[in-house]
Amino acid sequence: MYRIGVDVGGTFTDFTILDEVGGGVNYFKVPSTPKDPSEAIQEGIAGMLNDHKVAPEDVSHLGHGTTVATNMVIERRGSTTGLLTTKGFRDVLEIGRQTRPNLYDYSVGKPVPLAAREHRIEIVERIGADGGVLTPLDEAGLEAAVETLKAAGVDAVAVCFLHSYRQPDHEKSARAALERLMPDAYISLSSEVLPEFREYERLSTTVLNAFIGPRMQAYLDRFLARVSDLGITVEPYTIHSNGGLMSVRTVRETPVRTCLSGPAAGVVGATEVAKAADFPNIVTFDVGGTSTDVSLVHGSRPLFASTRSIADYPIKTPMIDIHVIGAGGGSIAWMDDAGALKVGPHSAGAEPGPAAYGRGGDEPTITDANICLHRLNPVVLLDGRMPVDKAAARRVVEDHVAGPLNLDVETAAHGILRIANANMSRAIRSVSTERGYDIKEFALFAYGGAGPLHAAEIAVECGIPTVIVPQEPGTMCARGMLLSDISLDFVRSEIAEAGEDTWHRVCELFGTMLEEGNTWLEGERVKKEDRSFIRHVEARYQGQNFEVKVEMDEVKPDGLDDFLERFRASHAKEYGYDIPGRAVEVVNCRMQAVGTVPKAPQQPLAEGGSLKDAVIERRQVYFGDGAGWVETDVYARARLPVVVPFQGPAVIEEMSSTTVVLPGQSARVDRIGNIVINVLQDGTA
Amino acid sequence: MAHIEKDEATGSGRVIDPIAMEVFSNRLLSITEDMGNILIRSSFSTNIKERRDCSVGLFDGRGRCICQASHMPMHLGSLLGSTRAVLERYSIDDMVEGDAFICNDVYLANGTHQPDVSVVTPIFWDGVVQFFTATVGHHSDVGGTVPGSISGTSRTIFEEGIRIPVIRIARAGVIDIDLMNLLVNNTREPEDRDLDFRVQVATNERGGAMLHGLVRQMGMTAVANAIEDILAYTRRRLLNRIAELKDGDYSFIRYMDDDGLGGDMVAIHATIQVRGEDLTIDFTGSSPQARGAMSLPDSALCATSYYVVKTVLDPELLPNSGLFDAIKVTSPIGTITNPRFPGAVGARSITANKVAGAILGAFQGLVSKERVMASSHDSVPAMVFSGQRRDGRGTYVYLETLGGGNGARFDSDGMDGIHVHVSNTSNLPAEALEHEYDLLVDEYAYVEDSGGAGHHRGGCGLARQIRVLEDGIIFSVRSDSHIVTAPGVFGGYDGHTARLVQNHGRPDEQLLGSKVAHIEMKAGESMRIETGGGGGYGPPGERPLPLLAVDVRGGKMSRPSAERDYGAKMVQAALDEKGT
Repeated sequence: MYRIGVDVGGTFTDFTILDEVGGGVNYFKVPSTPKDPSEAIQEGIAGMLNDHKVAPEDVSHLGHGTTVATNMVIERRGSTTGLLTTKGFRDVLEIGRQTRPNLYDYSVGKPVPLAAREHRIEIVERIGADGGVLTPLDEAGLEAAVETLKAAGVDAVAVCFLHSYRQPDHEKSARAALERLMPDAYISLSSEVLPEFREYERLSTTVLNAFIGPRMQAYLDRFLARVSDLGITVEPYTIHSNGGLMSVRTVRETPVRTCLSGPAAGVVGATEVAKAADFPNIVTFDVGGTSTDVSLVHGSRPLFASTRSIADYPIKTPMIDIHVIGAGGGSIAWMDDAGALKVGPHSAGAEPGPAAYGRGGDEPTITDANICLHRLNPVVLLDGRMPVDKAAARRVVEDHVAGPLNLDVETAAHGILRIANANMSRAIRSVSTERGYDIKEFALFAYGGAGPLHAAEIAVECGIPTVIVPQEPGTMCARGMLLSDISLDFVRSEIAEAGEDTWHRVCELFGTMLEEGNTWLEGERVKKEDRSFIRHVEARYQGQNFEVKVEMDEVKPDGLDDFLERFRASHAKEYGYDIPGRAVEVVNCRMQAVGTVPKAPQQPLAEGGSLKDAVIERRQVYFGDGAGWVETDVYARARLPVVVPFQGPAVIEEMSSTTVVLPGQSARVDRIGNIVINVLQDGTA
Repeated sequence: MAHIEKDEATGSGRVIDPIAMEVFSNRLLSITEDMGNILIRSSFSTNIKERRDCSVGLFDGRGRCICQASHMPMHLGSLLGSTRAVLERYSIDDMVEGDAFICNDVYLANGTHQPDVSVVTPIFWDGVVQFFTATVGHHSDVGGTVPGSISGTSRTIFEEGIRIPVIRIARAGVIDIDLMNLLVNNTREPEDRDLDFRVQVATNERGGAMLHGLVRQMGMTAVANAIEDILAYTRRRLLNRIAELKDGDYSFIRYMDDDGLGGDMVAIHATIQVRGEDLTIDFTGSSPQARGAMSLPDSALCATSYYVVKTVLDPELLPNSGLFDAIKVTSPIGTITNPRFPGAVGARSITANKVAGAILGAFQGLVSKERVMASSHDSVPAMVFSGQRRDGRGTYVYLETLGGGNGARFDSDGMDGIHVHVSNTSNLPAEALEHEYDLLVDEYAYVEDSGGAGHHRGGCGLARQIRVLEDGIIFSVRSDSHIVTAPGVFGGYDGHTARLVQNHGRPDEQLLGSKVAHIEMKAGESMRIETGGGGGYGPPGERPLPLLAVDVRGGKMSRPSAERDYGAKMVQAALDEKGT
């Protein structure tokens, strides 16, 4: 049987196929088809099944990552969306937290709300903080509002009433009215999408869900039809923002959970690969053409964020905490009028791209600098499929940087890299200190096309001792799809001082969520023995307005003291102190239901071969800082022998990526195929 | 007073090594980001932790600011003032490794108001003070007559909490417990303050350790060279922007409704003088200092001025001495923009926003039309409710500051309902506050017809109406722009004024003034504040019809007001257009 992972990217759609018996992994790539992304998926799977002589009915698992929802939000191509909300609160969607987006720059505006003001209708009703009804629902007003939305041609309706996380009856009545009067509309209730307090984030998440709902249904229908056309009988799964998989059924209900899933699979893949290589603490470093994604993994678990924004619209759903930096291979180097050299944030992107790619780019990019210094192959890339115009790269660096600064081209190109590396290093350090971690205890896990090119220097700059480069760094996301479990997050708000009564209620809520989790896992076809549940209670000291996440192995009636002890320990770990004697308040109860998916172990590679046989060529590579041009071994990654150390400087080439090892560093390929660079053995690097 | 003379030491020479400078600049920013992260994570004061009302900075041995991470514009350059105060009080020869200095006072230590407490730490290398690290945070309470230490009706600095001149709070790595006890027991929350002050000392030490790492990595000479480059570069970049301005004097007057204790309107008269690369902002002609606590002290005036210069000329410019030294700020003593000791200053935020509005207004004459912004509501209204806690453990104080309308620009409407200028504070969600207090939010919405009409419309003000559910809740407000509108530009109309209404929609509805204190409310009564709108840009007749249609259909403008400002024919044409 075979397992398939698919990752739809902006330029390429990547595939991996795993032989469950033999453990062999293969990779495949086709150009993406943005108009209907499922077209490339069908083409790629068909091609791959054909190449490896696999019958479609032998596919036992299909995991897919999609940016359909993300792109719909970024390009604002969702449906016309209406909102029903509590009287007095229709503008909360626009007001947000009433802050301006940029402290100093008034040209940065607020995002246009996804439900226009004329489609946001207030309903007379009011629930209090304790869940009691203060004002009964005005049924006649509700019907009139629905008729208004219907007449306005709205396709999707979000419903968000105050305190509905506590008492959802009014929202349920709204659903009934909508189903009766607008049977074709996509409906999204805040008490179902995110039953959690703080109205703006819940509202924003619910409206986003409605906005993308209808078109996501259409995409899923096409996707399912194509999969079934291929003869694949297994039902596919989709990755969502927490790095887990969920069924098409669940995606239909809460497509918003896929909005920030793009890079999540890569982090899950990186976590698993690093764990197998005995690196529980890593910084993932994924450098693409226009941006770099960075995240922290501690104890083989990715760190989570609770709120992130997409195109400035906040989404509150548990998600892997990924920071995006506006620097990638296409970032442009430029001089300002006061004499500084800057790299980015403008990017040449894929079009026109770097000057060396000959597609009309006429400004120096990071890629051009790498070509000038021969770190990237100055003749040809992508296994010989893409010629490189080194003269063009040198020309733009000369014209735009070296000339004005009165430097030689090598020093200028090296300066561009130093600045780019300094930018990226700053982001990495910030991500780690923001969460209170010491980066020296982490390894840098580099992937994406350009991550391995910069990793060695970034690690030196940040004081990170080890760099890991997985096999096929360009397809990490598709690989992650095969390493993810099925999972979904449940939440309930219960805001009260942590006493016996509250704890009793907390136990009840976890009981309810356990039932819901089991029902959901049943629906995802997860067997009982593969199910597990992760429980967290979010709590705070009275008077605080931020919560600390407390992990609970179990939640039982006599567990209050255990919880309080864990809370104080968690508070001390997170903030460096606790406050004995101060009352503790429970805020949210969270449970993640997990269905473990069997994963083939990482296959050890065969030993044998020699370094000498792996050498493709020796070429001059520029390393700067006194080293200058150095005669450097260039290795073919596939031919490097396992666990045989080699010394830098070295360049390792493979189809989708190039790894640089600095002079004074050493590296080796580990038993499961990762390149591991020992970074800090030489202080001069 | 604010005679920040041009410091020739920041030079105007060219950058020697731009590559090293850029790398260095990222390393410095890493240190300030790290310090900021630690300060915010570890502090207890919600002002610091949640509102991020704090800043951190790095200084060289001469006290020049090399790098500052400002989460609040009000702190721009204020750490420079603290560091200077330390250097004026103590000789470097008297300092030893592990010393730390603390200060807050407006008149003795260049403070911005008493709750902003600074800690400054000398950092040694090879036995010599080569740097200072500094932090400032807005602490929840520093004593004085009212909880929170800010009252618009305070008349002297002595009512606003403990006055800390520059004192040595740590000697050779050991905190002076006696002094610490004295300080924290002059606040209402001694345990929290003790913790927060220690966090500031520890944050500075952490910054020092990171500076040591930087010197080990690069060598002291390279670091010193890069500092010169970064200051020269920042200065040069700003001077280039100033040189692009037209020479001349440009004035703008922005008024406050009163000085906090009623009476006449208060003028803030800003004049920008441009001569080649020289830029001076002068406040001659401004009204006398407030009788209450609304005067803006020197360091807050400078911060506000730096903020506007950065916003108008170069939002990305690094805040360091290269910026601060390149502009001159002056104001006569005894005025609203330079109070005489012992005038109170706690409630100076509204004044600061009016000052920002006045400077932005003066810039309208200096920059191209594309960079002009109409006036914003230029206020920071604050509503305060206090009452008994539900659990009976003492009283609560719930303070909410509100946004308002932003001025329209060349290419866009003003943003609706945002914090402007020196503040940028989040609201408390209705669901959070209803859990915490016996209060109910009746409405939180945009104010219809509040944004000034124009080719681009001014932003709408915010309405927030809160009902009290128990008898005896005490209400106070500090607001402004209830009389004074936000002027439009180039034919755009003014934004609407703010107002405060008690029991809105009830027979006993009553309009109140912009500053009221200690109103006792009964269960069922409500307070409604409507903040001011922003000014419009360009004549209303030029407003694109689709935008007008969205305003009218969505109700940001009522039909009668739209017909008054744009004409009935234009409104009808807008609504008749298809596909809008």
